[in-house]
Amino acid sequence: MSLYKNSPFLVLLVLSTYALASSVGVNLTASDSADRLSLSPAAPAVVVDSPVFKPGVDSLFSLNLLSSFPEDLEISDYCSDLLHIFGQRYVAYVNCLVTAARPVKVCQNCFSTYGSLMNIYNNISSDEMGPGNVSCRDSLLRSDHLMLVYLLYSNMEDIWTKSSCVNCITKGFQSLTNDTLYFISTLNQTLTCFEKYQQGNHTELCKDCKNAYRDLNELYSRMETNLTMCIDIEDSMNMTRRLWSKNFNCSFPREETVPVIAVSSFMLFLPIIFYLSSFLHSEQKKRKLIHPKRAKSYTTLMNIQDKLS
Amino acid sequence: MANIAKKVSWSSRAEESGVAGERTPLFNGSEQPRLSRQLSGGGSVFQIGRLSTVDLEEEITSDEDSQRGRPKEIPHNEKLLSLKYESLDYDNIENQLFLEEERRMSYMGFRCLEISRWVVCGLIGFLTGLIACFIDIAVEELAGIKYQVVKQNIEKFTEVGGLSISLILWAVLNSSIVMLGAIIVAFFEPIAAGSGIPQIKCYLNGVKIPRVVRLKTLVVKVCGVICSVVGGLAVGKEGPMIHSGAVVAAGVSQGRSTSLKRDFKIFEYFRRDTEKRDFVSAGAAAGVSAAFGAPVGGVLFALEEGASFWNQMLTWRIFFASMISTFTLNFFLSIYHKNPGDLSNPGLINFGRFESDVRNSHCVFFQLYVVCGLLGALFNLLNYWLTIFRIRYVHRPCLQVMEAMLVAAVTATVSFTMIYFSNDCQPLGPEHTEEYPLQLFCADGEYNSMATAFFNTPERSVRSLFHNQPGTYNPLTLGLFTLTYFFLACWTYGLAVSAGVFIPSLLIGAAWGRLFGILLASITSSGSIWADPGKYALIGAAAQLGGIVRMTLSLTVIMVEATGNVTYGLPIMLVLMTAKIVGDYFVEGLYDIHIKLQSVPFLHLEAPATSHWLTAREVMGSPVTCLNRIEKVGTIVDILSNTSTNHNGFPVVVQPAKLCGLILRSQLIVLLKHKVFVELARSRLTQRKLQLKDFRDAYPRFPPIQSIHVSQDERECMMDLTEFMNATPYTVPQETSLPRVFKLFRALGLRHLVVVDDENRVVGLVTRKDLARYHLGKHGLEELQVAQT
Repeated sequence: MSLYKNSPFLVLLVLSTYALASSVGVNLTASDSADRLSLSPAAPAVVVDSPVFKPGVDSLFSLNLLSSFPEDLEISDYCSDLLHIFGQRYVAYVNCLVTAARPVKVCQNCFSTYGSLMNIYNNISSDEMGPGNVSCRDSLLRSDHLMLVYLLYSNMEDIWTKSSCVNCITKGFQSLTNDTLYFISTLNQTLTCFEKYQQGNHTELCKDCKNAYRDLNELYSRMETNLTMCIDIEDSMNMTRRLWSKNFNCSFPREETVPVIAVSSFMLFLPIIFYLSSFLHSEQKKRKLIHPKRAKSYTTLMNIQDKLS
Repeated sequence: MANIAKKVSWSSRAEESGVAGERTPLFNGSEQPRLSRQLSGGGSVFQIGRLSTVDLEEEITSDEDSQRGRPKEIPHNEKLLSLKYESLDYDNIENQLFLEEERRMSYMGFRCLEISRWVVCGLIGFLTGLIACFIDIAVEELAGIKYQVVKQNIEKFTEVGGLSISLILWAVLNSSIVMLGAIIVAFFEPIAAGSGIPQIKCYLNGVKIPRVVRLKTLVVKVCGVICSVVGGLAVGKEGPMIHSGAVVAAGVSQGRSTSLKRDFKIFEYFRRDTEKRDFVSAGAAAGVSAAFGAPVGGVLFALEEGASFWNQMLTWRIFFASMISTFTLNFFLSIYHKNPGDLSNPGLINFGRFESDVRNSHCVFFQLYVVCGLLGALFNLLNYWLTIFRIRYVHRPCLQVMEAMLVAAVTATVSFTMIYFSNDCQPLGPEHTEEYPLQLFCADGEYNSMATAFFNTPERSVRSLFHNQPGTYNPLTLGLFTLTYFFLACWTYGLAVSAGVFIPSLLIGAAWGRLFGILLASITSSGSIWADPGKYALIGAAAQLGGIVRMTLSLTVIMVEATGNVTYGLPIMLVLMTAKIVGDYFVEGLYDIHIKLQSVPFLHLEAPATSHWLTAREVMGSPVTCLNRIEKVGTIVDILSNTSTNHNGFPVVVQPAKLCGLILRSQLIVLLKHKVFVELARSRLTQRKLQLKDFRDAYPRFPPIQSIHVSQDERECMMDLTEFMNATPYTVPQETSLPRVFKLFRALGLRHLVVVDDENRVVGLVTRKDLARYHLGKHGLEELQVAQT
């Protein structure tokens, strides 16, 4: 009964909802087309919230994006110059990195470009006011949540720290440190030695270059403990080691298998003797049984079982 | 009485037997022990047994008689109960002194007691944490030195040849360090051998294991565990922490050290078994918590392993001790690692962090868990045979030391051979996670991957198995490692060195869990789903540990807390459940096996099934040595100095044999020492009245009766026991069934339960050994025999 009574109202409600929905749908499609024109991601939200003001808002957006923002929101010429220089140096550094990727020479080749990149970034991010009392830090680095300039730079900074180039470069990005230069010269000696014997017998190489290689190895491990190492040194050492061990096969051979086997089988034999002798010679530990005082004698094991069965 | 005329010298055994010989015929034929003493003694204990039985029962068959007549000796086996173990007095002795003291105590006094309980628990936690910290640092430093020396030596000889010398150096270093540890254990304190968990389990169950909570044991334990871990045995330092915690608790709560002869005059109220037991369970929990960084796991361990007696307030206090302990360890280790405030080392073993991604549906690999249970059972079975062999043949201390040294040498040899012949080379990681990388015959810049597993302390190996990148180990290496380590660990447990079994089991499980993960990945080849073999290592470790020790609830929580990730709870729980079910089908847990092999009268949770037909009449010991309420001193001294019976509780009766109380040996000894005789009290009116404090001062090492001198005149004096006896001992009628007696005994923590007839006359006495001797074997109910060990 109640359903019948209410049904006209229900119908009305459904109808009105439908109408509302369709109108919203129309608005959405309209805004979509407007979107394509203005390329503004904020438009649909605005449209849905206030469909009445739609045309006005839309036109405003498309107009503004074509022209420029008012003066006070725009970045100054000084800052855009800085940004430009940043871009150029960035490109230079990345170019350098890519060419120095394999074999790794990122520290040796690119330290100067990184230095200049760091310089310009420091300029951008400094507190000091440029000409016309503007600080580019806020306008370039912190105006939006993407913070592109910062992001780009921090990526490069990560690469720099990960390669620990700091250990190989003098302060102020002047040159390579003396340790590094010394290492490179030692490395070169070893490599020339390798080249000299490369064609001939490898056993000769192993013998004659051993001293040079050992010196290099010792130098490397010293630098490893001193923490004066960067990726360049590590990589070149790795390559040299691989040459030495894999290509020229100069690793230590497994020669003394027989003595090792002899000693270990002797060791393994000892416990057998021990256990056998203690089994044969040591007297077995016996336990004296004690019969506790009981009220009945039939509580022995045998009787329990009798009783159970 | 014939012996009155004799001069009294209670230390001589020959004389005693002479006395007994004269006396025994007097009692032959007397039906009831109504004369209130059944003095028996003699050269051979078996004669006594026969005589006293003859007293009561005429219908003994001749066969049995002759069997009992000659001393019967059998080789040690698991179906024995040792005479040397006694019960703890968990039941409060409510005598008049006790009531008086309680009346005198004010309300504030009780509040202070409560506060001092908390203080004691805090101290326990703190000291346990400190000890854990000390062990950790000592092991790390000493092992570091050892591995550095061996590593340098190996490097030197790899170049010039002569690696067998390095092998000998390693073996000699290992065995000499282990020798040190084994000597202090075997010669000074044998009870400190092993992990100590079985002993603590027994203690909490109510068995008094001699010397288990002494300071000397603690020192030997700590030094021993350092030696055995540094000595490169396949052992861990976690199990002994639990024992150490328990000793600390027993020491701190008493406010004095009997070994050092220092009495701080504090916590005197806690000087009895009831209070001490509570603190010992707190100490055990603190030990677990320091070992694994698992405070909740520690509480649950105390609950699971020692849950004979429990209440909520105690739980809360124990939790406090656990928390303090793990925090202390964490704090001091952070200072040691020069990073104060970075609390990232909550336990001795650190599993490291696991991601909470458990997409690999572990439940699919049910067979994996079953295999775990089987491996655990195999481990236990092998160890069981080995332990029996050791008890029977390797029982002399020097032999035990030699055995430990041999095991250490063989461990080094096997490890070296494995490393030497391994071709598995891996490139060095960027952060040098490998502590002591060995290059050997690998290319420069690479290290031997077998060496990370063997040439390292076991804890580090576990961690590297859990966390190293996929591809760090190849399957052959892992397989060989698992196999050798399994046998080494099995061989090592039960040596006379103090060492735990947790880490070796974890290591075995982790190794073959990882192996399983790698194989699975290679079979399915779909790659990404089975990505992380470290998780398989974790599950395998849990399964193996569960298969060996068979703990359930506490182990789950310990593992979850150690991984620091609750999401692993369910897989770990399922694994442990399966491992326990499968393992129990074959053999008991390792700790239970060792408890059994020690012939400890351990009371399990329930009486054996199908034992309802047994009544107290059959279970009880009878006839009972009783005392009169006003007893002659000579009689008491005679009874106490009878070495063959060595009873500890005596029902006190009034004529005719009606029960009116129960008195303990320790009380009688204190009374004799203070000469509380009726005649003396009459003559010296000013004599100080004996107080409860006098009993406490003598606790827990009551002097033996031989050290108490009683003159001939004093033997004629009388002693009034009314004031000192427990006037309301628990009694049961003769027809009570065994499970009922058992329940009463176990739930109340009794030591003696008097069996009376319907006129309240004493007919028998049930003790722990009477109950513990029944157990359900393969052929139904079996009875253990009592033996002298």
